[in-house]
Amino acid sequence: MSDRQTTRMTPAGQAGRGASLLVAALASAFGVVLLQVTSVLATVISGDDVGSIGAVKSALTLVAVLFITIAVYVSSIVTTNTVATIIAGRTRTIALMRLIGSSARDQRRAVAREGLAVGAAGAVIGAAVGTLLMAGGVQIAVAAGAIPDLRYSLLDPLLVLPVAVVVLSTWCAAWVGSRRVLRVSPMQAVGAAQELSLEETIRRPARNVIAVLLIVAGVVFLTGGVIVGQVSEYGVLLGLVGGLLSFSGLVLGSHLIMPPILRLVGRGLGSNAPARLAAANAQQHPERSSRATIGLVIGVTLITMFAVAGATFEKMMELAMEDPTVRAAISEMVGISLAVISVLVGFSALIAAVGMVNNLALSVLQRSREIGLLRALGFTGRQVRTMILAESLQMTVAAVALGLVLGVVYGWAAAQSLFGAVANIGLVAPAVPWLLVVLCLAGTAILAIGATIVPARRAVSVAPVAALAAG
Amino acid sequence: MENSPSELGLAARVTSLQKTYGSATTSVTALDDVSIGIRRGQFTAIMGPSGSGKSTLMHIMAGLDTATAGRAWLGDTEISALGDAALTVLRRRRVGFIFQAFNLVPTLDVRGNILLPFALDGRKPSSTESAWIEQLIESLGLADRLTHRPHELSGGQQQRVAIARALATRPELVFADEPTGNLDSRSGREVLALLKAASTGYGQSIAMVTHDPIAASYADRILFLADGRLVEDRERSSAEDISRIMLGMEQRA
Repeated sequence: MSDRQTTRMTPAGQAGRGASLLVAALASAFGVVLLQVTSVLATVISGDDVGSIGAVKSALTLVAVLFITIAVYVSSIVTTNTVATIIAGRTRTIALMRLIGSSARDQRRAVAREGLAVGAAGAVIGAAVGTLLMAGGVQIAVAAGAIPDLRYSLLDPLLVLPVAVVVLSTWCAAWVGSRRVLRVSPMQAVGAAQELSLEETIRRPARNVIAVLLIVAGVVFLTGGVIVGQVSEYGVLLGLVGGLLSFSGLVLGSHLIMPPILRLVGRGLGSNAPARLAAANAQQHPERSSRATIGLVIGVTLITMFAVAGATFEKMMELAMEDPTVRAAISEMVGISLAVISVLVGFSALIAAVGMVNNLALSVLQRSREIGLLRALGFTGRQVRTMILAESLQMTVAAVALGLVLGVVYGWAAAQSLFGAVANIGLVAPAVPWLLVVLCLAGTAILAIGATIVPARRAVSVAPVAALAAG
Repeated sequence: MENSPSELGLAARVTSLQKTYGSATTSVTALDDVSIGIRRGQFTAIMGPSGSGKSTLMHIMAGLDTATAGRAWLGDTEISALGDAALTVLRRRRVGFIFQAFNLVPTLDVRGNILLPFALDGRKPSSTESAWIEQLIESLGLADRLTHRPHELSGGQQQRVAIARALATRPELVFADEPTGNLDSRSGREVLALLKAASTGYGQSIAMVTHDPIAASYADRILFLADGRLVEDRERSSAEDISRIMLGMEQRA
């Protein structure tokens, strides 16, 4: 066999580890910087009054923890998926190791150990880079007179928390992502190894039932929240439960939801050979494409949700309030909060984007033979490049579209359940900030094209002879 | 003035072909001054032990690889002078391929795979071509498999789909690289009989690389390669005779 003995050295393994390292570093840097910003803000707000610093800080920290949790959640999903994708591509080597006599548990443990190492390295690098950036940022801010020259303490024992959480979550993600190792049979070293086909994936009754139950229960709670919200602001608690339940259901059932959306988007790509092959590729492995896109769906949903909630709240207040100065004050407050929240959530979307780009790159690396076959049959380099671009477009468009729709629904439900009673004007249509939609579309285009640069170069360089090698 | 390959009745031809791999100090010669012609309408087998250069020869003749020295033609087109883009179009329109394994695009169903050469060209088959393709599908026994994916088919069925795809454009020359290498003997014989029928029935030119004497016995003509050189050129022979020649080559080596 032409594979090198250990997959540690394969391009796919390296690309995957690089991406996991980057994701861990980003999440850790985000956590560290956010806590440091919190601490700086608390110091600025309480000024010299050392006594009040504790209360301000704990309130701000609570908010920071919420956003760190989101970032860690998204990065865990991304890492789980990266590991699962690498394992799928490594099946033959794992099968060979099994054939020689290595146990599935040993193989899985090796993957998890690697996850722990990558997570630890990424978390420490991220924390160091984040702290350096923060220190530089504070210096610049003080020099520019933006914040007073106080004694800021950037190194807080609390900072160990995000670092530890990132290490642990990367470790767990590698463990969860490597469960497929247990299903690799030694016989697969002899035959052709494939990912599960569409039919096999959908036939997983327990998981599907749980996903559907969660979604149904979530929708019931969300509706309840909106109704209760008409009379009491406690409706938001019902809404929150509904949001968490239904969203978990969507993530769990993504292998049922993403393929039809991908198919729909794929049909819009056109009917030439590269576009049709790209559409078929994204649908061939529904699990892989769902994995690749769900992180981005989460990111876009969160951004849209906050934006729509804010805009809808503003609209409700405009309808309810008569006084123009109150309206202006509310509008300003909503604007600032939204800008801050968008940046905070946007970071999670960035992590998700890293995951999607990486997934596309891995899928090209793992398809050298197929691309070689197409080249042998007369696919030009340009057609290969078009195919990769179409595949990327299909995944980003599907993810962003679903994220926008979900975000509008969740945002509207949030605004209704929290402020319905205060505004007391009944149900209003959701307000969509169009600037956000345009930004999302622009971001989609940049991401879709940017994600293909490296994979496309790699794909074009595949020699037609690659398909002819036996075995 | 030398005759053009087509005037000589050749579908493909190479002259003084040389292929070396590696740097000057550690070079390996895969082909050493090989000159052969593949006759039009014939089923030609290229035989030789592992490392004889037979696969390299096929790759160069099919425009998948370039020679170190020497010239290669497909029909009257000198392919050793063509760039990658021209070779790509040539492979798409004028050549058919059947490989040992991994012949089909896993994401496409049987019909999609058969029509792939047309899709790559961005066109639909004409009515004559469609009729021909339907006839192929019928004679290869694929009519009730058209919506199946490759992984739902047996090895022999997959190879029949590859044959249908290779013949669909009525290419000037079909290259088959160990087409029975991954099949059980019954499916293997079926595939060989189909290739032979394509050659005798429709006058399809076929060049098949193999090291299996039984496979070679289906061919009209057998070229033997050893250590990068052409050592024998036989008309149709029995598997026993071919085995004897192969054994003789091994013993001389």
